Amino acid sequence: MTPLHLCLLISTALFCIGLFGALARSNTILVLLGIELMLNAANINFIAFWRYGPNPAAANGMIFVLFSIAVAAAEAAVGLALIIAVYRHQKNIRLQEATVLKG
Amino acid sequence: MNTSYAQLAHALQPEIILADGAVLVIAFDLIFGRHRPLATRLAASLALGALTLVAAFIASVFVGPIGGFYGESFVLDSFALATRGGVIVLALLTLGVAAGAKVMRNPAEYVALILFATTGFTLMAAANHLLIAFASLELASLSLYLLAGFDKDRRESAEAGLKYFLLGALATAFLLFGFSLIYGMTGELALPRIAAVLAQCGMSPLPALALVMVMVAFGFKAAAAPFHLWAPDAYEGAPTPSAALIASASKLAGFTLFTRLLWPGLGALAGDSSHALNPGGWITIVVLLAGASLLIGNLAALAQTNLRRLLAYSAIAHAGVMMLGVVTASLAGPGPLFYYLFTYGIATAGAFGVIAVLERNGGCQKITDLAGLSRRSPLLAGTLAIFILSLAGIPPLAGFFGKFTFFALMLRIGGIASPTGALTLLAIALSAVSLYYYLVVLKQALVEPFASEKPTRIHVPAATALTLLAATALIIGLGLCPSLLLTFF
Repeated sequence: MTPLHLCLLISTALFCIGLFGALARSNTILVLLGIELMLNAANINFIAFWRYGPNPAAANGMIFVLFSIAVAAAEAAVGLALIIAVYRHQKNIRLQEATVLKG
Repeated sequence: MNTSYAQLAHALQPEIILADGAVLVIAFDLIFGRHRPLATRLAASLALGALTLVAAFIASVFVGPIGGFYGESFVLDSFALATRGGVIVLALLTLGVAAGAKVMRNPAEYVALILFATTGFTLMAAANHLLIAFASLELASLSLYLLAGFDKDRRESAEAGLKYFLLGALATAFLLFGFSLIYGMTGELALPRIAAVLAQCGMSPLPALALVMVMVAFGFKAAAAPFHLWAPDAYEGAPTPSAALIASASKLAGFTLFTRLLWPGLGALAGDSSHALNPGGWITIVVLLAGASLLIGNLAALAQTNLRRLLAYSAIAHAGVMMLGVVTASLAGPGPLFYYLFTYGIATAGAFGVIAVLERNGGCQKITDLAGLSRRSPLLAGTLAIFILSLAGIPPLAGFFGKFTFFALMLRIGGIASPTGALTLLAIALSAVSLYYYLVVLKQALVEPFASEKPTRIHVPAATALTLLAATALIIGLGLCPSLLLTFF
């Protein structure tokens, strides 16, 4: 098994774990955590494809990862702000209780 | 690779103006607005925001179509230019809606977020590179999540923001994973070079997985079934101007981005459009999304009693029709797709404008709250009628012409007996179904009497009245002369 295959297996496993966490958890922070895992799985992919790809001299994959880490940080900030906004109203962050809007 | 910063700065003038304008709005409010009443601060922020948008529009006309620049990472063809102008016009309409809506705390930050979202939309229009596409999509999305959850006093708003955010972030993760697989297959990030590599290697399991991941994100962004679940909640809970922006400009920019990604970028994986149900490319996925959205959107809208949720399900149904436009974009170019997206955006933003004014005058949740609108405010009732009829696709309004073009093009692909023909027939039949729920809204607004004896007049702020009239004029004008827009392509 080449290192690229190993990296892809790890990243796919990470993506699936993250997706499961995002869908199965009811605590909003843990859902956010799952989404971050999925984003990082994609980052591992980029790094692996860049490192073992045809031309590692063109650092485009690595630069993409730098950008996506920054975007993920911004996303976490926005997510936590919205979680606080919900907490102010319902005094907890359980997703099952966010049911004002339905129909 | 030709990477000239001077050319980049020249071509991105509208984005520079928008971002600077957003900072300026906040600074102005911090310096001069501290001890003023909220309404004054909102008016000043809106005026500054509108000035910024007009300046950005003029700059974007001034830059003109210059093709690819900065090493093909951006492209400014007629489609990108039209979308850029279109989202700026739709953002202007949103500011007009905000002028008539309930006044919220922190008005300057609200206007600044609208400007940042517009910056994201205009960059999405010009993106020709996976990294630019991802970053601009996130700039727009993050601003929209905050706009949806902006009203701190209402629990609904926070909940709408959170639901929109969680599903949006999930879609982003899928998109990033899909992009990483595309990068892995081709070793390239710029769309023209990805297309060149894909033209040689064709379809295999890995591109198929990448396509599915990208299409999940597309379905979310477009609010297409089965990725539509956020839309009704976000439309219902978000502050009205935010809902108008999410429904109009965000759709226009999202469809432009994904049409560019799918046709010029991944066109080699499109598959055969005349045999759309044989799995072989992304056209199959788009056609399935279109069919599901048309069915779920139109049928679920029949059961709605809340006006905003009804507009959300109508948006899902329209997303289905727009998906047909994506399939036909190879046949007739992006012109009809842009026309449909732009006129749909104007009509929905206008409808939300009417809702915003009603909300400030006693609330507008149920469709029955519209009763007696023609007596209370003929202006609101008249413009609402135009917007709703355009959404329903009644000639001679703009909504009819857009739908008609798509259906005609779809039938040209494979004739009436093919899967695309069957899908078109389904879309036509469901258009008739949709007429029912649109007319229920109009019946309440135009025919039903007001609940109490003496209907109270509704005062419409001048800026909002102007916005609604301008939107009506655009809907009627573009409906009568579609060539005004289409000759541009």
